[in-house]
Amino acid sequence: MEFTFDNNIPIYIQLLEYMKIYLISGVYKCGEKLPSVREFATIFKVNPNTMQKALAELESMNLIYTERTNGKYVTKDEKIIEKLKDEYAITLAKSYFQGMKKIGLGKADSIKYLEEIDD
Amino acid sequence: MLNKLLKYDLKYMIKNMSVFYILSIFFAITTRILFNMNQSVMIKILSQISVGCMFAMIANTLINTIMRSWIRFSSSLYKDESYLTHTLPVSKNDLYNSKFIQTLIFFIVGFLIILLSLFIAYYSKDNWISLTNYIKTITTGLNMSTSFFITMAIIVIFLEIFNAIQCGFLGIILGHKKNNGKVGYSILFGFIIYLIAQLIILGLVFIYGLFDSTVMELFKTATINIDVNAFKVLAIVSSLLYLVIITIMSLICKNELNKGVNIE
Amino acid sequence: MISMKLLEINNLNKSFDNKQILKDINLNISSGKIIGLLGKNGAGKTTLIKLINDLLTPTSGEILVKGNKIGIESKKIISYLPERTYLNKEMKVSEIIEYFKDFYEDFDDKKAKELLNKLDLNINEHLTKMSKGMQEKVQLVLVMSRKAELYILDEPLGGVDPATRDYILDTILSNFNDNASVIISTHLISDIERILDEVIFIDKGEIVLQSDADKLRNKEKSSIDEIFRRMFKC
Repeated sequence: MEFTFDNNIPIYIQLLEYMKIYLISGVYKCGEKLPSVREFATIFKVNPNTMQKALAELESMNLIYTERTNGKYVTKDEKIIEKLKDEYAITLAKSYFQGMKKIGLGKADSIKYLEEIDD
Repeated sequence: MLNKLLKYDLKYMIKNMSVFYILSIFFAITTRILFNMNQSVMIKILSQISVGCMFAMIANTLINTIMRSWIRFSSSLYKDESYLTHTLPVSKNDLYNSKFIQTLIFFIVGFLIILLSLFIAYYSKDNWISLTNYIKTITTGLNMSTSFFITMAIIVIFLEIFNAIQCGFLGIILGHKKNNGKVGYSILFGFIIYLIAQLIILGLVFIYGLFDSTVMELFKTATINIDVNAFKVLAIVSSLLYLVIITIMSLICKNELNKGVNIE
Repeated sequence: MISMKLLEINNLNKSFDNKQILKDINLNISSGKIIGLLGKNGAGKTTLIKLINDLLTPTSGEILVKGNKIGIESKKIISYLPERTYLNKEMKVSEIIEYFKDFYEDFDDKKAKELLNKLDLNINEHLTKMSKGMQEKVQLVLVMSRKAELYILDEPLGGVDPATRDYILDTILSNFNDNASVIISTHLISDIERILDEVIFIDKGEIVLQSDADKLRNKEKSSIDEIFRRMFKC
């Protein structure tokens, strides 16, 4: 997969976003071992230092943890991932409504449009 | 690291010189064979061509040994390749020494190849005897031994040409200190240095002559009819002077290289 | 990560014929970073790099690599890619590998062969028979196959197609290790900025700015490329 980065935004923040989606969507499941920093850097084609920064950020959010010698793992606490998913979904929904508002559509109308879309 | 540098410098020279070595020996052999065949007109023409080719190749061996040494020196120290040469973890002294030894080796090899070619083409008992007799008439006239004469002649010629090659090296180093017209200045400086070196040797011989009247005679009279001893002394003194000049010039070259280079 | 002075430049000046090319350069570079040396053409990038690699001699000032002056010790740990093709073209690729192995203790010939293999390159071929682009790739592979402490790449992206550019960036990233730093000089900033830890702006022979890349993006709320353009409008 090709990852695109917007040069206007710090790269580690964009990596953080990619990683959050990975965790929410279950690409890496609860308690699963994560690839090393170097492997991640190769996957995303970014500087290992930047990758390290993004992972450190994830760790400070308790989404992942480090086992001293074995590397990094996804948190075992499913609630944290669920919470992240919630937050993320709300953000997406908000941005949808904001967009609709710009073109003069209220919440009720917006939902109607959502229902009309076939998957 | 010197041996590694030398390995690649020698490889380069072998690559570029071996064709001349092979061809001069090849034409020496054909010359020999053609001489020994019955002398029809056709064979005579062919053998003349063969002799011509052999001497052309001998001249090429000599000239190319000198030219290639200069080309190699300037290309690996100052042209695109210098980006690699100067970033190798080796000292500037080693860089210079490698070129110096390479030149020396190929100079000797070239010299031997030339002798070998002549030997192959012309050796016969009669020729050998007439050559030795010829040399003997000179040496007895000059009152010195044959081996001494030959040795001194080879040494003086050798040092003289080697000195010229080194003047070229120093010329290249000094020429490349200029920001523009590096090649032109290299040739100009090389030539000036050569003249200076010759004048210094001549001057030193003159100073020596102040203490040795037989040598002084060489400066005073126009005739060859002088003390033969003077030639002996002259040969030895000038050889020593050449050695000193070559050593000093190497030190100057290394000193200049160690001051740093400026590659375009 | 241990922060030690890998490269230290103090009050460096360089002039040619009374024309000053570099003015009072002061620079500190530590290990474990990818650093962009960014400037317009003729800003002095290559001059600075050549001074670090002993191809030019400073007019004044000093350059220290792990505390040593430029010389054998610095050359042992610096792996340098010039902006031109510089290898002896009469040589085969395999001979050049041999050459690097002879002179650089940190050269990994297996790795070099592996990388060249991936390029579908026959190592028994002479350089003369290769396109300029191919020769440049061979040079990059050789330079990155050393386990050096400081890689200096001068304009590695100049005039290459996007596929080659990706290949070059991948090669740099996958061979870069924690103990080493990489200095990449370029005027094509947008191509490369996502892999940079740190940026150095150089203009008219002077260092204008040295900063962490993400911090700079955050502060100016725009890409390095844009910040650079704003700063050095023609």
